[in-house]
Order: sequence, then C-alpha cells, then structure tokens
Amino acid sequence: MHNDLAIDIRGVTKRYEEHVAVRDLSLQVPRGTVYGLLGPNGAGKTTTIRMLLDIIAPDAGSIAIFGRPHHEAEILNRVGYLPEERGLYRKMQVRRVLRFLAELKGLKAAEADARINDWLKRFGLTTAERDWGNAKIDELSRGMQQKVQFIATLVHEPDLVILDEPFSGLDPINAQALKDAVLDLKKRGKTVVFSTHVMENAERMCDAVCIIARGEKVLDGQVTDVRSSSGRRNVALALVPNGTSSAGRASDNGVGHVLRDTRLVNRFDDNNRYFEIELAAGADAQELLHRLIDAGASIERFELVLPSLHQIFIERVGAQGVEAGMSGHG
Amino acid sequence: MDKFWVVAKREYLERVRSRWFVVMTLFVPVFITAIFLIPAWVTARSAASVSSRNIVILDATGTGLGKRVSDVLMRDSTPVRRGAQPPAPQVREVSASSLAAAEDSATHEVMRPNSIVGYLVLDDSTLSTRRIRYAGRNASSIVDTDKLKSAVRQAFTGVMLQREGVKPETIALISNLSLSMSQTRIDERGRGGSGQAAIFLGVGIGILLLMSIIFHGQNVLRGVLEEKSTRVAEVVISSIKPEMLLAGKVAGAGAVGLTQQVLWIAISAYLMTNLAPLVLKSAGVPVSGGGASALGFSFGGLTIGLFVVVVLYFLFGFVFYASLLAAAGSMVNSEQDAQQAAMPVMYLLIGSWLFVNSVIVNPTGTIAKVLSWLPFSSPIIMPMRMGLSPVGWPSVVGSLAVCALGCVFAVWLAARIYRVGMLMYGKKPSLAGVGNGVRYA
Repeated sequence: MHNDLAIDIRGVTKRYEEHVAVRDLSLQVPRGTVYGLLGPNGAGKTTTIRMLLDIIAPDAGSIAIFGRPHHEAEILNRVGYLPEERGLYRKMQVRRVLRFLAELKGLKAAEADARINDWLKRFGLTTAERDWGNAKIDELSRGMQQKVQFIATLVHEPDLVILDEPFSGLDPINAQALKDAVLDLKKRGKTVVFSTHVMENAERMCDAVCIIARGEKVLDGQVTDVRSSSGRRNVALALVPNGTSSAGRASDNGVGHVLRDTRLVNRFDDNNRYFEIELAAGADAQELLHRLIDAGASIERFELVLPSLHQIFIERVGAQGVEAGMSGHG
Repeated sequence: MDKFWVVAKREYLERVRSRWFVVMTLFVPVFITAIFLIPAWVTARSAASVSSRNIVILDATGTGLGKRVSDVLMRDSTPVRRGAQPPAPQVREVSASSLAAAEDSATHEVMRPNSIVGYLVLDDSTLSTRRIRYAGRNASSIVDTDKLKSAVRQAFTGVMLQREGVKPETIALISNLSLSMSQTRIDERGRGGSGQAAIFLGVGIGILLLMSIIFHGQNVLRGVLEEKSTRVAEVVISSIKPEMLLAGKVAGAGAVGLTQQVLWIAISAYLMTNLAPLVLKSAGVPVSGGGASALGFSFGGLTIGLFVVVVLYFLFGFVFYASLLAAAGSMVNSEQDAQQAAMPVMYLLIGSWLFVNSVIVNPTGTIAKVLSWLPFSSPIIMPMRMGLSPVGWPSVVGSLAVCALGCVFAVWLAARIYRVGMLMYGKKPSLAGVGNGVRYA
C-alpha cells in the first residue's frame, strides 16, 4: 500500500535537553520525485534528515524507507547522503576515500573501483595531464573536493538521494552540475530529497515540498498545489525602465500610490526587477492594470501568477519562526 | 559485520602506509639493539686491548719469574684485530744494582711514539712482600692492570709450586686451567635461575603494553577527532552504526599495534642475531652461537602460555583504553581539548603504572593481587606479575574474564558517548553533557 512511497515518516518527535527539535512530524515522499524540505535555519531539517538516516534515533514515531524500517542495513545501502557540513579524510587518496565510502554502502571493491573511474572521468577529475584520483584530498581545490564529495554520495547508485543544503558553498558551475545530476537522477526513477532555505531552488526543481518551522510541519504537498492552495492571486508587475524610473524607484511616484491602495493591493514585494503584488480580497486585476496605466506606468510585464514559495514561506512561517529556531539544531 | 571489516581495513592500511609507522617500526628495534650492543661493544673494545702485552718486563728476581709472566700474558686468549701483529712482552733480566738504570731507559722508551706502552718491575720485594710496580701510558686502565696482576699471580704460583717440587707438566696444567662459570642469582625470596631475566621480562612486557596503548590509543583518539573535525563522520555514520564504526576503528588500530610489536620483536631479533656478531667480531670478540646469546640476552622466560596471555591482555587492555579514548575524542573539537578529555582515561593508565615498583618488589602482595584483578590495571600488572613469579592459572583466567567484562562495559559506554559526541559541535565537553549524551543516545 505504501510501497510507492520512498519515505514515510509518521509522528516523529525528537527532544533535546532544552528544546524540541522536531515535533510530531509526518511526511510522505512518493518514489521518483524531487522533494524539497524547506525551512529557516534551525527549523529541524537536519535533525529530520539525521533521523531518516538513523544517525540519531527519534524519541517517538516511525520512519520507513521503501516500505521497510529505515535502520535496516540493506535499506541504508540504497540511500546516498550529502551532509550540509562536508569533508573527507584529508590525508587519503581520492580513490581510496571513494572506495572506502562505497564499500561502506555494501559495494565490492572491484565494482567500486570501476564506477569511481567512470565518475572521475565524468567530473573531469581524470584528464590526460593529471589523474586527480591518485592525489590526496588535501591537494584538491575546493571545487574538486565538492565533486569528490558528490561522487561519494552517488557512487553506489542509491535509489534515494538525500542532500542537506546541497547548494550552499557551491560555485555556479558545480551548482549547475548538481542540478543537472539531480534531474538526471529523477529521469532514472530515483528519489531525491533535499533541504534548503533558498526557495528559488526549491521552486525550480521540486515536484513537492514540505515547509517546516520550529520543528513542526507548516504545510506540504505538490509545489503547484501548495502555491494555488493559498487561494490568493498574485500579479507580477515589471515596468519599462526609462532612464530615471526603474522598478525600484516606481514606488515613489504615481505607481507607488496605486500599489499602496489597500482596496486593490494587500501587500507588494519589491523584487528589484519586478514587483510581486498580492491582490486584496475581491480586488480585480484588470482594475489594477487600468489604474497603473492611468498613473502613467510603462508596463513591460503584467502577469497573473501563483504566489511564489518564497511568499508563502514568509507568510506562513513569518519572521518569528525564523528567530525561534535559530539557536537549535538545523 | 562486513562494514566492520571495511572500517578496520581502512584504519589499518592508512596507518601502516603512513611515514610515521615506517619510521617508528625501524627506529625502535635499532634503538633497542643499540642499547644492548653499545655497552657490549665498548666492553669488547677495551677487552680486546693488547697493550698489556706490549711492555717490557724488568726481572731482577733472578728466578725466571719475568719469563713466566711473559708466557702467561702470551697465553691470554684475547684475540687481536685482524692484520695486527700480536706484540710479545720483552723480558729483560737485570741485576738489582742496574735496575734503576734499566728503569730509566725503559721510561725513555715508553716516551717514544710507537714504542712499548709501559714496563713492569719484578724484584726482591716481589718475592718477599708480593709487591710489583708498573709504569706506563695505560697505567690507569683497570682492564690492563688487572691482566698484569693476574699474570704475575699465575706466574708466581708457578714459581712457588716449582719450589715445592711440583712437576713442570702439572704446573703447566694448573696455569692453563680455564674455567667457564654460569651465574645464578639468589635473592631474599630464594628464587634462583632467571632472577634478572624475569624482572626484565616482566617490566619489558609492561612497558611494551603501556607504550602501545598510549601510542596507538592516542592514534585512535586523533583519528576520531579528524573524522569529527573534517565532518566526514556524518557520511560514515549514515552508512554504519557508530558502535560498529568505533569497534572497527579500535580493531584496526589495535591490529596496527600488534603488527608493529611483531615487527619490533622480529627486527630486533634479526639485528641481534645477525648484526650483533658482525659488530662484536669487528671489535675483536669471538662469537659462538647467536648474537643475542652472546649479549647474554635470551627469551628463555617467555613461554608459549605467557605469550598467549600477554597477547590477550594487550588486546583487552587496548580495546578498553582505545575505546574510552575514542569516546574522549568524539566529545571535543580541537587537539587541546582532546588532551584534556583524554586525561581521566590516561590517569587510569598512568596510575596503574605508578604501582609497578611495589609489584616488582612484592609480586605476591596485596597491591599486586588487587591490581591484577581490576580491568584497567590488569593488562599491565598481570603479565608483569606472571613474569616475576608464578601465578595460578585460575587467577589468570579469572582476571582475563574480569578484564573482558570491563572491555564490554567500556565499549558500551564509549559507543554511547561516541554516538552523541560525534555530532556535537561547538560545545565544550562537560560531565553533565556526557551524562545526558549517554542517557539520550
């Protein structure tokens, strides 16, 4: 019945001495999806991931991976994990580190070696001039170390890949490589769960998300459902930059006056290149468009959109949620 | 269990490949051999001195005593370095009145370079009051003067025996009599035989265990700290239970310790049996049999039973201390804090060592008995006690069993601390924190 679920977390709670890191959390991740675990720093994302990986034990609740208890060795062998804090044995040769980590996932040394060679080639770590596989981790640049770490996560062909804040600290090229790799994994039917507090990444890549704050689930579901479930309509508005009047300065003139009309606009968010405008209850988007034109705005873009994850996040979690969890574990 | 081996294998190979392992493995046997060899070599060098023969004997006794002394000195079995001509003493029979002049001229000879090193005076007072005089460049050499005294004593005995009418063949037989002596020590406890060797063996084993536990135990601590500070621990722990990781690390490091000890013993034995004779031969000492026995060193006291017990105690002791040190390493974030956290564990170890003296003095006393039952001290004290005096097998087996139980407890405690400690960053360790860790793990 739940065998189509990659992850099934039910009623999980984790208490520390002074605070509750995760409280009665339940979430289901279908197989073959890219799933985002969203939340401010200290919301309980890392604690949840660690419990998922049986690194720490929950005080209450149950966790299943692919329909089996998550602590079974065969199950953990099918999971790949990239922690937020990354690092490898500094004095060890790249190949030996990778072989060690692959063997820890139940791979035989010979098979591991073959796959490691493939991966090193794929990430450009073995070239005609230099085989970085024989170098010590210490001798690698930061970007190369990130690649090695990423190979370590994927070398055993995991069915479930868990990435904790995968984009933090990545240069744009490695970030792109990671994004491509995640989508490649999805194409091959793998399940990817990643945590982030950067909503744009989640919005671009995730099929479904779960927002948690203060150790509790705020909402979860398909990204499109989440965005439309708020029942609100938003308008993305961009103005033609004509010398002095950029979007940023527009709020000072007539346009600003329109946007501050609470009968039309609930609130607006200046994203620099465009405004994200939340319409007031019962307000008509067309009326807003007319008023803006009347106010002399040169409109480049006027689009009815679903509220962004970022907006929903800010609205549902609020500044308070961010503050409350800051002191605790991730 | 497969993953346990993966961890142990990595731990073992990475350590054995390290430059430090190679350096330490070679250095210690060379050092130990040097400790045994240098004193022996120095002794051999001075014993091989032939300067006691390169002398003039001024014989004013008129009894042929000088000739006899010369004969005795020539019979000295001390071999001469290859290529060197063995010098023979020059005997000058002089009258009592010309003795002073002869001494003068001998003095001048000694002062010339590449000449004789000294002269021996035998005169009437030698016969009446047993006095002899020697003057020479080596007058302060105890070995040389002892040789001269002994030669004169032998020669004198010959003269006296001749006077008593003993046949010359009998005198020759008596003079050539050489003895070999085996020395046996008896002390206040009445033990004979390998007294010195037993203490050496017992203390040696104790030091070896102590050094290995400290050295390789600290290595485990440093390894844990590295995994924690590089954050590789989190990836590893997502693949293997912390208990298994801890066990694998301790086993790998322990295997490195055992390997190193076996290599130490093997290399030392090789050096002593092969290198030592060469060195001693070059110093002019005749060597028969192995070099180790030439140095008066033997593994005679080390029986198979004791060997097995020593290995078991090493393993238990190592597991006990290394897992606690690993737990200490898991609680901290820096080398300095690590030393602090390791302190309580090291106190247990060093504390046990402080009682070694009283165990050596009285291996059957209460202190020795108690310490050989406590799991934290028995790995060091019990093998030492066994080397010093016989210990009943029931006691050994019982103590090993208690030690094994202690290990189980230490590993259990360490694993719980380790599980929590490995993921605890930024906090300094506190007893309360550790207590909570153990409870919440």
